[in-house]
Parts: sequence; structure tokens; C-alpha cells
Amino acid sequence: MSTNLIQLLTRFDGGRPTQTVIDVLKQAVADHGEVTDADRRRAAALTGLPEAATHGVSTYYDDLTQPRGRRHVRVCTGTACWAATGSDAHVGAAEAGLGVGLGCRSADGAVSLAETVCLGFCHAGPAFRDGDTVAAGPGALERILAGAPHQAVEPEWESTLDEPILIRPGDCSGLRHALATLTPEQLLVEVRGATLRGRGGAGFPAGQKWEFVARNPAPPTEKFIVVNGDEGDPGSYIDKYLMEKNPALLLEGMTLAGYAVGAARGFVYTRSEYPRAKPALDAAIARAVAAGELGDDILGSGFSFHVEVREGAGSYVVGEETALLASLQGLRGTVSARPPFPAEKGYRGLPTVVNNVETLCNVPFIARHGAAAYAAISPGATPGSKLICLNERFARPGVYEVRFGVTLRSICDGLGGGLRDGHTIKALQIGGPLGGILPGALLDTAFDFDALAAEGCMLGHGGIVAFDETTDMRALARHLLRFGAHESCGKCFPCRIGLTRAWELVEGDAPVDRAQLEELLETLEVASLCAHGGGMPAPIRSLIRHWPQELGVA
Amino acid sequence: MRLTVDGVALEVPPGTTVLEAARSAGLWVPTLCFDDRLAPFGACRVCLVGVEGARGPVASCTTHCREGMVVHTQDALAGRIARNVVELVLSELPAPPAAHTELAQVAARLGLDATGGPAAQRWAGAVHEQSHDHRHPYLAFQHELCISCGRCVRACDEVQGAFALTATGRGFHANVTAGLGHGFAESSCVSCGACADTCPTDAITERFLVELEETR
Repeated sequence: MSTNLIQLLTRFDGGRPTQTVIDVLKQAVADHGEVTDADRRRAAALTGLPEAATHGVSTYYDDLTQPRGRRHVRVCTGTACWAATGSDAHVGAAEAGLGVGLGCRSADGAVSLAETVCLGFCHAGPAFRDGDTVAAGPGALERILAGAPHQAVEPEWESTLDEPILIRPGDCSGLRHALATLTPEQLLVEVRGATLRGRGGAGFPAGQKWEFVARNPAPPTEKFIVVNGDEGDPGSYIDKYLMEKNPALLLEGMTLAGYAVGAARGFVYTRSEYPRAKPALDAAIARAVAAGELGDDILGSGFSFHVEVREGAGSYVVGEETALLASLQGLRGTVSARPPFPAEKGYRGLPTVVNNVETLCNVPFIARHGAAAYAAISPGATPGSKLICLNERFARPGVYEVRFGVTLRSICDGLGGGLRDGHTIKALQIGGPLGGILPGALLDTAFDFDALAAEGCMLGHGGIVAFDETTDMRALARHLLRFGAHESCGKCFPCRIGLTRAWELVEGDAPVDRAQLEELLETLEVASLCAHGGGMPAPIRSLIRHWPQELGVA
Repeated sequence: MRLTVDGVALEVPPGTTVLEAARSAGLWVPTLCFDDRLAPFGACRVCLVGVEGARGPVASCTTHCREGMVVHTQDALAGRIARNVVELVLSELPAPPAAHTELAQVAARLGLDATGGPAAQRWAGAVHEQSHDHRHPYLAFQHELCISCGRCVRACDEVQGAFALTATGRGFHANVTAGLGHGFAESSCVSCGACADTCPTDAITERFLVELEETR
């Protein structure tokens, strides 16, 4: 991230921007269907960035590069929507039905079709978004083509815990308790003691991130809590549920984080693919401020914390924390080498905690009940609970709160009810596109960080996508690598070129030279700058290991 | 702070990168996105070295020296992976890089044949589309030769402060452009030539120098 561009921004707005380049350009697309040079110049004038920088931004994000007609339809190409038919047939059907190609707008400007990954309606794929309506599941496209789409119903979430941690409505009890009885240092000790592992995918201890920022002597107005709500994993809709159904719990968690580390401001970065998340959070912020639970002098404690919500514009890699910080400031969402870590130089070059949505939603419980009670939830396993989500192939898809250490069988068969229509599980992809693929024969594996790692898989963010027995694993490799290549931010060379080369190797039906493919995967794993290039080989490794013939490697 | 690089004991000030330490000892570490006038970027991943106790090779340009660190610039895995990355870079260009370019020289030193063009590569596939900007009096841009190392963008930002250049696109389609994409002539370019000076592939060149070369 360019230090000078950040300086230019801060010089222009004094650290309090009313809008970013991304906001200006998204509004332009909403107004007249595309970004023009006049829009880029305007974005530069409104933010203090050079014109060239705004141009770079306008060519990066899916929402800014795909033209919009008077009617704008988005088709989800996420893995759950793919798994619904084992193909992208719904994409071709949408193109044929609307008479417009993917990423294009009809000549008369009446209709446009854009690709999006992913809408978070993985429980009912394939999913489409027509204007503000998300239609999903069998018949969805037909209803869109008939001009009568209706909003898909989202299943209620369920907890397997007697006392749910994450799906109980946020009631500010943790914050009240902490402000009344704990010093910031004592809260930090509880969170460190709870071994709260990040739920976004990497599993890094949240308390450790907090401690770096807490130790920094900067004043509260120069420290930030940034919530990573960029749940880009195709097949995951956990943070979507948390942000839309339980925003008060998230606000409480981030306010506690601010209290512990001495930060006075926070941001939630949401995805444009979840259009209801930002309004839900904005409404919850207004309620919390009115109730004295957020803003100045919270609950009469003297502690103040303010939250703003920013929405992204379509990019998977923006979920990586340095890319997220760049995007939060309106820049291209590319990854930066660490060090410096965000805890040292984050938002506007100042100390910043970046935590995932679900991670912070655990904090109110820890603040209220302490580290020991938190550890007792999942005996002998990772402390706390985890939200998982199941895709449309399951008989009972949805979001479930589970204990760590339960078997995948109890999740898939017990909660999910097995697959629908008598199908059987050929494989699961757990934790997003960077997670390995587990054969259906290994369902007795425990759902926890180490047990999954032993099978070349990962817990990741907790999304579980089942592939049924009809799935063609070569086609799955094509689907995954197309996604990987499309979403590469383009910064580091191995990922920028290597994922395209890997996709090209499996694109047709020709046999793949196993040694060559494995060398390419190793290059990606060893050399990539972030987990995108480093992680995309994992599912391909699983396919080589368990289905070499189907994959066509020799 | 003391460390060992290829068996050579070094003492360096805190904040020194492994690449700086290795080069201070006269050791060669290949790089493509590095320019010592610019902040380390960590994009090319060609400067990989082995560090004892690390999980795998690390990018030496963005790794800081630590007390007691033991570095091997000739680490076999690091060398093999760096070579693979440069091979991938050669495969994205529609034509071989000119022999005098930094890319061609790094490739040659890693034992790669940079002269064959894409057809000679084992990673045959998509290559960058030809697109030229020849309208500026002093600077020319051949976008298909761009390897997105970001050196020109950073030189324009960090050295000249003109902010005339930006990275564009993403993934394989990443490139660089001036201003709003209509060429140097219609950008805030001040014709300083810092971009051409640092470009490792001749994607950006100074026209007078090229013409001088051609008329010789």
C-alpha cells in the first residue's frame, strides 16, 4: 500500500473521510451504468487522490468493471451454486434467457448480466440477484425471466448448545459487565486466556493481535478496530447471518475490543454481495447510540467508541487483512507484504486490530463469563463454539452453532440430515476455496483445526459444501481454479501467473502431467505472498490424492 | 545485530532486510520487483532464500534480519521455486525480453533460456495482448512486456511524486497505465524518465535512447 497515497488522503480529509473512491465510483455505476473518465476525475477531486489512482481502482473491482443496464441481473458462480448441478449450467441458461453475455449489457441498455461470487444463498443455489431481489433454487431463473422473481427465504439458524453464544441476540450484557467490573487490561487478560482463535480462516489468536495494539501508546483517536465482514468464501454465509440477524452482538464485540486496546473508532467492512448487511448494521448502530451503548461516554463509563460501516465492491482477496485495509480506504484491494502488520501500521498508517465478524461475536460471552467458562464449551477441543453452514445439497441446509471436536458425520448426517433426494456425499470442501477436499469416507474426522489439517483440509471459516456422487472432479478442479485465477489480486507473480496456468492445465479434457502440475502447486504454495495463491493448491492436492483418475493426472 | 549469510558472519543495524544483508556481503540474490531507491514490495517472489528454522523459503526483500539468523542464499528449494517463478514470467510475454533487460539477465543467470519466446516455454498458455503508447515525445509504453512488478508506479510515486502511473486490472490481466489509461501524453507525467529507468523489461522506454541505439 502506497504510504504517499495514504498521506494524500489524510492531508485531504484530516482522517475523517465522508466517502472513498470506491463509494464515488459505485454511485457512478448505480447512476449511469459504468465508470467514465469524468467519474474518475470527480472521485479524485472528492478524495484527494491522484487521477491515475482512481483509474486503478476502477479497473479492480467486479462491481466497477461490469457494465450495468436498466435491469441488472447478477448470477452467482460460487461453489455451492456450482455444486447444485455440478456445473455452471445456470450461467449459460441466464445468458441465453436474458440474451446477454456474462459481464455484458444489451445494446439498448435494457439489461445486463454480471458474475458475482458469492451471494450467500448457498442453502438454495443456484442463486441470482435481480435488482435488489435474490432468487434462488429450482425455478429461480425461470421466475426472473418471467419478470416475477421473489426473495428467497433464508432458513433459521440453530444452535446445538444449551446456552448459545453466537446466535443469542446481542443484549449488551458483556459490555455492561466489562465496563462495570473490568479494566481494559483485565479484559485483555480474559480474551488472551480464552485462546480465542480467529474465525476468518487463519485461526490466529485474537488476544495476541489485541495485545500488540494495546501496548501501542498512541491515543484512542489514533487506534482502530476493523471488522472483516468480507466473507468471500464461496459456500459461506455465516458472517452474513451474524451481520444481518445479530448486528448488536457484533457491535458489542467490537466495542469491547476498542475498550481492551484503547481505540475510539471502528469500521465494519461489508460486502456488496450482501446488500442487506450494511443497512442492518447502520440500523443497529443507531439503536445502540440511542441506548447509550455506543458513541460518547458509553453507559456512563467515560469510554467512547464510534463505528462506521463501509461496503466493498466485489473482490475475494479483499478478505486478506492488508488488502481489506487498502479497500477500506478506497484503494485497489491488493495484498501488501508484512511487516508492517496492521497492528503497527493499519488504517491510515495507524495501529489497527483487524478481526473477523464471528471472532468478535465471541467476545461478549468471554467478557461476561470469563475464559474458563468459554473453554468449557468444547471440552478437549478449541475453546468456544463455531458457526458452520451447509449448502443446498443437504436435506436441511442452514447455519448451525456447534461445539469444536464434534465429528463431521454428526454435522452432515445429524444436523444436515444427509443429502437431499437420496444423494450421497462424494466429498466435502470445508472452510472455503483454500480448503482441502475431504472424501465422504472420512466423515468421522473431528471438526477442529488440527484434525482437519491432518487430512490436508482446514477448518477455515466453517463453510461446508457437499458434492454429491454425480460430481465430476475434473470439472470441480476447473471451477475452483477459474475462481482462483479470476480473483488473484495480481500483485505477486506466482499467483498472478500460476493460477492462470493451473486453470489452463485442467481447462480442457487432456491428460495433465502430474509432475508438472505438482511443481506448479508447490511454486504457488512456497512463493505466494498471501493465502490465496498459497491456499488454492490445497483442494487440487486433495483431488490428486483421492481422485487422480477422474482428475486425469498421469 | 549479528547473523550468518552463506557462512559469512555479518553485523547489521536493526531494520536491515535479509536482501540488504546478503548484498552487503557481495552475494547475488535474484530480484525483479526490487529497486534500492524504492520501498520493498514483495511481489516477484524471486528473492527467496532459505532461513534455518523457518517453515520454508522467505522473500529476502521484505524479511528483516533477526539476531542469530542463519540464511542460505543457495537453498535448493528457494532456488528451484525462484527459477519456476521466472519461468512463469517469461511465459506471459508474447515475445522474448531483449537480452540487455534485467529480466533476461536474471533468467539467464538462473539457467533459463529467455530467448525462445512463449512457444519455447513449458507453461504455454495465455500471453499479454499487444498494446502500445507511442504518442508521448519521450516515453513509450509496450504494455505486453509489463510484468506488473510495480517499479514504475512506485518510482513515479516515491521518487518523483508525480503519481502519473497506476496498476490496473487484476490477476493475469494486471498491468500498468498512465493517467486515465489514455497514455503518458494525457497524464500528469513530467517526463522524468524514472519509470523507464527502473523498468526491468523495457515495457517503458525512453524514446531518444531507443532511437539512438537504433541509429548506431
